[in-house]
Amino acid sequence: MPDQPLQPFSLPTSLAALLPDGVSAGVAIEWFLYVVFAFWVVYTIVAVYHWLQYSHASWAAFPAIAAHLLISLALIGYALSGNASFLSQYLP
Amino acid sequence: MKEFELEPGEHVVLQARKHWFLFLAGMLPYAIIAVIPFALPKLLAFAPPFAPYAAFFNFSMPLPRAVLGVWLLVTWTSAWGAFTRYFLNVWVLTNHRIVDIKQRRYFSREVSSLFLSRVQDVTTNVEGVLPSLLGIGDIKVQTAAEDIEFTMHGIPHPEVMRDVILKYVSIDPKTTGV
Repeated sequence: MPDQPLQPFSLPTSLAALLPDGVSAGVAIEWFLYVVFAFWVVYTIVAVYHWLQYSHASWAAFPAIAAHLLISLALIGYALSGNASFLSQYLP
Repeated sequence: MKEFELEPGEHVVLQARKHWFLFLAGMLPYAIIAVIPFALPKLLAFAPPFAPYAAFFNFSMPLPRAVLGVWLLVTWTSAWGAFTRYFLNVWVLTNHRIVDIKQRRYFSREVSSLFLSRVQDVTTNVEGVLPSLLGIGDIKVQTAAEDIEFTMHGIPHPEVMRDVILKYVSIDPKTTGV
């Protein structure tokens, strides 16, 4: 057991030191977000393909796709700008 | 359904998916993961050595907010993917056959047909308090060939499904077109 209290969380400066010259932490975070959103786009395309290919005649297909896009885009907006559109009232 | 074409005179009698309760139970882990960022700061307050870490959960700051947004986006997308797989797993009963569509994961799909004329035995199994109260059970359809067996787990009211299958099995093959 440590006998000293833990220090408040701070960004790991050692990680920032690993970044290439000219790349700030802000740019690294921006690229991280791009990677996450790119993954989301690929995943969404695959899932939508399955909905349209195999459940195209179902009553649930388009509402399910629409709900996914609306909620996801609201969360992406929240991550980028803090504006979560219709979800704003539920998020801090 | 693109997997199979209905023959002339064939129509869909019913479709069965897993019981909604099992689907909701499968959503529970996603719900827990989603509330972690909101609950963690409050839980940290109960552990004084870790209390300073609660400052990281100040979601008015851009970085914690972005992390929260990505966390919720990944959780939501995963839950929606689970719903997609739940919905694409289905049994389709027509007046000629049973079609078992298994969507194990994306790009992994198995579609099997079993003609009702070959059905020898239909067994249902409801076991446990909650399944009995909610009407959740398994159904097993066997043919004369012992190695061919269709089983579906956790469907709502399997006895109703069994009765419908047996109703169409007992109909004169000439009228079913089989």
